[in-house]
Amino acid sequence: MSIKKFIESVKASLNLNKFEQKGKKKAIKRLLQKLESRKEILAKIHKKKLKKKDLKELREEQEIVDLQIKKGKKLLDELDG
Amino acid sequence: MLISSIYKIPIVILLLSGSLFFLGLYPDISTIIGGVALFLIGMEYMEGGFKAFSGSFLEKILEKFTNTTPKAISTGFFTTALVQSSSLVSIIIISFLSAELISLTSAVGVIFGSNIGTTTTAWLVSLFGLKIKISIYAMPMIIVGIFIPMFLKESSWKGIASILIGLGIIFLGIGYMKEGFEILKEGIDLAQYAMSGYAGIFTYVLVGIIATIVIQSSSATMAIIITALATGQIEYTNALALAIGANLGTTVTAVLAALKSNENGKRLAVAHFIFNMTTGIIAIVFIYQLAELVDYIAMIIGIGIKNYTLKLALFHTIFNVIGVIVVSPFIGTLVAFLNKLFVSKKQSKGKSKYLDDSALGLPSTALSAVIMETKHLYENAFGIIARGLNLKKKNILSSMDLDDVVADLYTSDTIDIDDFYNYWIKGIYGEIIDFSTKAQINMAPEYAEELYKLKLANRDIVEAIKGTKHLQKNLLKYTSGRNRYIKEQYDDIRKSLAKLLRNIHTISTSNEEDVIILLLSKSKIHAERDDIIANGTLDRLIRKGLINNQMATSLMNDSDYAYRISQNLIAMAEVLFIDIDSDLKKLHVDMGISDEEAKSIVQKKDHS
Repeated sequence: MSIKKFIESVKASLNLNKFEQKGKKKAIKRLLQKLESRKEILAKIHKKKLKKKDLKELREEQEIVDLQIKKGKKLLDELDG
Repeated sequence: MLISSIYKIPIVILLLSGSLFFLGLYPDISTIIGGVALFLIGMEYMEGGFKAFSGSFLEKILEKFTNTTPKAISTGFFTTALVQSSSLVSIIIISFLSAELISLTSAVGVIFGSNIGTTTTAWLVSLFGLKIKISIYAMPMIIVGIFIPMFLKESSWKGIASILIGLGIIFLGIGYMKEGFEILKEGIDLAQYAMSGYAGIFTYVLVGIIATIVIQSSSATMAIIITALATGQIEYTNALALAIGANLGTTVTAVLAALKSNENGKRLAVAHFIFNMTTGIIAIVFIYQLAELVDYIAMIIGIGIKNYTLKLALFHTIFNVIGVIVVSPFIGTLVAFLNKLFVSKKQSKGKSKYLDDSALGLPSTALSAVIMETKHLYENAFGIIARGLNLKKKNILSSMDLDDVVADLYTSDTIDIDDFYNYWIKGIYGEIIDFSTKAQINMAPEYAEELYKLKLANRDIVEAIKGTKHLQKNLLKYTSGRNRYIKEQYDDIRKSLAKLLRNIHTISTSNEEDVIILLLSKSKIHAERDDIIANGTLDRLIRKGLINNQMATSLMNDSDYAYRISQNLIAMAEVLFIDIDSDLKKLHVDMGISDEEAKSIVQKKDHS
């Protein structure tokens, strides 16, 4: 067995690669929580009371938040997988 | 304290040469000198390890817990006791002062606390270095330290490995010193040179001062004193005087090191000197009373009356604590005196504020200095871009409606952006590049990568100014011209860039990750949406004959400039305003909206 392979096997047996992943997963979960609560706040805004310009901005923000939640969840699935 | 490793290398070589020289004639002296050399090498390894392992961690603690004097003193004590290196704490504090992250009062407090923290070395050597055969733990630690980097590549693990190797070598050094003194006792009894009364105190204080100046480390001097005391080669009262001498000697090395430093380094060195001189004088005058106090406290905490090494460690701590108690009430006066003694050079807008060679001591502080300076550069660039767009900076930063921001003109004349560039940007930009080049030598890859991104951010700032310069030529002409259609387009460009500058300002002041990521995404989408070539506005204006060919060409070019300015500023904000230690830094690449996604959102909107 070469030294590189030996090092890799030790890393795998001690689960050392998971260190960084765990930190990343926690960070995504925290960000997702914030984005979800922002989504809820945006959904509660009365659209009828808004001007056309503000309504456009609201829709745009909702779209971005949705996209980012989707990306975050996908990333989380990849890390879990 | 404040001793640069540059000074230590020749001393280690000198000690090793001395060790070889005495090897044949006096093997015991050779063993002691070799032990001291190993102790110093171990300290260097440990310091290097802590630099890699705890640079940003130490920075955070020192930045957050120093707002009051008691907090600053406690933080100085705990951090120094933890990393066992007052010079590392000093390096960070000086760079913080240069970056205006802490006040001089807090910095002086940290240095006072650090002086108490440094006395823990004596406790560790007395408690563990002498009671157990510590050198048997040395080899396993060194071996583990050598193997760790083979399996774990991150710099923090490499730092831990260096700390282990350093500790192992220090243990070996202490072992050799102890062994050397034990063998020496069989031949020469140094205790015969013991001196009593104040003559003895002054003589041994002087010996302690000279030893520390020669070795350049008060910790190493203390280790020698403790091992010599443990083997009965010096008397307890003389050891107390030597400890006072070691404390005084370290200030001489600090002052020497500060001669090459900036004003902040000099201020701290003088504060340290005044503190140690006061403490030293008090300790010399009241040495017998302090020795009685040590006996009394030793009895209370269960230290045996004959346990001289622990009593010496206790004495070392007590007189430093007394020094802090005596000097602390005068910190305000001391700071005022230091500010008077070393007057800061007047800052000009076009000169760097945060780049100081003292920050090059640690990769994390060097990186912080570049970040702060790049923010300074952006602040200046903001002013130039706003002027170039004929906008008032204060309006952009307010909550004023953007239509009103655009309507309120900065001037009716052209401003020379080149002049502003030469005066506000060029010098700082050059200094940042020069400093970064120096900083990246021996930098760990993750720091070097961050530094590279910062250099790109600097380039983006400069490119954005150049773009504004190009844009400005037609902007003034058409916004004051008669054709309202072309005026509307140029005002839209100004509005769009004003909005971007406002968003970036919000990003720069926000700690909320969702707000930052949302505003960055919005800015990207708006940059795509406002591109008049892509959104069809230009075609419509030409088709309907609302603008002539010359106007169309100008608008097409200038819209491209505006698009590129937006791209430059967004790219810069992504690097500069996402905190390096935040979760978002790890996630932004994966979670942020890409250019393609921004384009597809705009296209979807156009179709709907």
